[in-house]
Amino acid sequence: MRLALYVTCLVDLMRPSVGFASLRLLEAAGCEVVVPEGQTCCGQPAWSAGNRPLAADLAKKAIAELEDYDHVVIPSGSCAEHVRNVYPQLFAEDVEWGPRARALASRTHELTAFLVDVLGFAAPPAEFAGRVTYHDSCKGLRGLGIKRQPRQLLGQVSGLRLEEMPDSEECCGFGGAFAVKFGDISTQIVDRKCASIASVGADAVVGGNLGCLLNIEGRLRRRGDETTRVLHIAEVLAGEGER
Amino acid sequence: MSAAGPSQAMYFKERAGAQVRNPVLQRALQKAKPLFVGKRAKGIAALADDDLEFEGLRTACEGIRNRVLADLDVWLAIFEDNARASGAEVLWARNGEEICERVIEVARRHGVTKATKSKSMLSEEAGLNEALAAAGIRPVETDLGEYIVQLAGEAPSHIIAPAVHKTIEEVEALFAKEHGRPAETRTSADIPAMTREAREVLRQHFLSAEMGITGANFLIAESGTAALVTNEGNGRMVTTLPKVHVVITGIEKIVPTLEDFATLMRLLPRSATGQTISNYVSLLTGTKQPGDSDGPEKTVFILVDNGRANLLGSAYQDMLRCIRCGACMNHCPVYFSLGGHAYGWVYPGPMGSVLTPLYTGIENALDLPHATTGCNQCGSVCPVRIPLPKLMHRLREEQNERGLRPRSERLALAAWAWLAGKPRLYRWATRRAARYLNWLAEGSGRIRIFGLAPEWTAGRDLPVASGKTFYELYAARKRA
Repeated sequence: MRLALYVTCLVDLMRPSVGFASLRLLEAAGCEVVVPEGQTCCGQPAWSAGNRPLAADLAKKAIAELEDYDHVVIPSGSCAEHVRNVYPQLFAEDVEWGPRARALASRTHELTAFLVDVLGFAAPPAEFAGRVTYHDSCKGLRGLGIKRQPRQLLGQVSGLRLEEMPDSEECCGFGGAFAVKFGDISTQIVDRKCASIASVGADAVVGGNLGCLLNIEGRLRRRGDETTRVLHIAEVLAGEGER
Repeated sequence: MSAAGPSQAMYFKERAGAQVRNPVLQRALQKAKPLFVGKRAKGIAALADDDLEFEGLRTACEGIRNRVLADLDVWLAIFEDNARASGAEVLWARNGEEICERVIEVARRHGVTKATKSKSMLSEEAGLNEALAAAGIRPVETDLGEYIVQLAGEAPSHIIAPAVHKTIEEVEALFAKEHGRPAETRTSADIPAMTREAREVLRQHFLSAEMGITGANFLIAESGTAALVTNEGNGRMVTTLPKVHVVITGIEKIVPTLEDFATLMRLLPRSATGQTISNYVSLLTGTKQPGDSDGPEKTVFILVDNGRANLLGSAYQDMLRCIRCGACMNHCPVYFSLGGHAYGWVYPGPMGSVLTPLYTGIENALDLPHATTGCNQCGSVCPVRIPLPKLMHRLREEQNERGLRPRSERLALAAWAWLAGKPRLYRWATRRAARYLNWLAEGSGRIRIFGLAPEWTAGRDLPVASGKTFYELYAARKRA
């Protein structure tokens, strides 16, 4: 099985370790993984801003780069949701790009969904000594129905105790440009998330979407919490959560 | 301040900031949110007790509303015929001004000096209370929450819980002043006593008002009936005691049959308050007939467009399915950070972020469709499956198409997209950016003040990595 890893623009710039952890996980599962050279951004920021022409340009670029693989795997519920749900909408009436967008969408997966639903539980053995709580990112949860997959995978990590926080399905307040445009509203929302995390006394909060994680980590630190670790699920599964 | 003034939706961001920093409001909101969310969850879970299932019912409710909207003119004509046949008068209003004109004209015809009101958001759209007062007719809100905000001289901040933004201390101060007694220290245990006090004051108004004004949750076409879903009993007083009853509703509130109404009632109270059914459900048809023990001598329906007809056949038609349950705002992280007043017009929360631009002009509410995290908590609870995030997205697209976005935003987006289309240049730029971020972090792994995104670092740090991009490290690894 030859698959493309789409690392996402945010991982590329803000936390490369998530990309390498994803790579390791997929290779350990026996996949031939290619990181396509030209990838930049799936175009979601343009779409969210309401700029359809720019979103379509970037979507075409991504489709052309990614359509020749058996599968495309993305360590982000939000970007995967964009490719799976929005690309077909963008080209709904387009006779050339419509079928290509739909074909790519059907072969594109969020990382944990791919590991569980396509490969069937194939995560390499990993350890994490401590109590972990999982934040369900909105686009993965409500856009792609990802809920049980990350929990099944975390359940295989030895030493890891999963403790559900109250309102784990509540938004963390990131929302892409929202956090930059409406900073004080976003802060108010993420404060509630931080309180939920604190209420379960977790050693680490884990999620599948780097944007949410940067938001949560940034707020935890600003509130003076220097100990609760904030990790992407790929990092935990690849054994990089241990230190 | 009142909702009757012009829309303040253009000042959303400023108003939102003030609300976020208002500790009294925040206390009220943090108390209310778990109640709303928990009660709805229980109500929806309890569907199983009646062998019902949420998604199936949603499909049925969505279908009923879509069927009406597909032939709205026909259903309206059927309603009008049946309402007239039962003795009611049917008037039409194109906008808020015409609503006020019609109500005042009816009031003058019947020598009305005081009107009791049950909740009506359309009367807020019209600024009806101010118009009535100016015409020498005293409007008295009788829903407890509406009564409180009327005493405070405010607009409702929630469509089903108008005074959700008020704390018990604030309500006590208002009551003490209005009811002419010294203020006391109150706890939630005193709520029944405070409610009784309001009820006693309101009772005098119920008995003396010549006109009752209500909205309607639904208009049932086959019988010409107005359906009222209430919890306090004030709706019954307003619709039976005064000699004139005026019903003001939007034209989209029609449902074809009583059977359809029964189906929608499976989800409306559960979505709103978690109740399997509200304390009162009133079906009001025509006027008092010989042998009836109560009822108005005169019933007038005012059917209102005020922007609704424009949505028919448009990209926003789905919004007209709305049955005003409030579940979208009750589950909205943005609403519960601000309360309803920041939204600047009648309707708050996700449904307000769609309706305010559509009813008051897209160019007059530019922030609202952007004030969303895209979480879709609203869309996933909506009992008639309105794709609220999609509609907000469509409004953002329309802002772009009409050139309503700021030039700086358009240029920044275009520059970024241009760069993202040139991978080699993009790699170069991101390498530089990673270095720059790392330099700003001074080796601490986080940036505390970031001039390029000041709103981000106003409330939180920006965690950064080691100064190298994934691609840079990946290329090095491949070479090794």
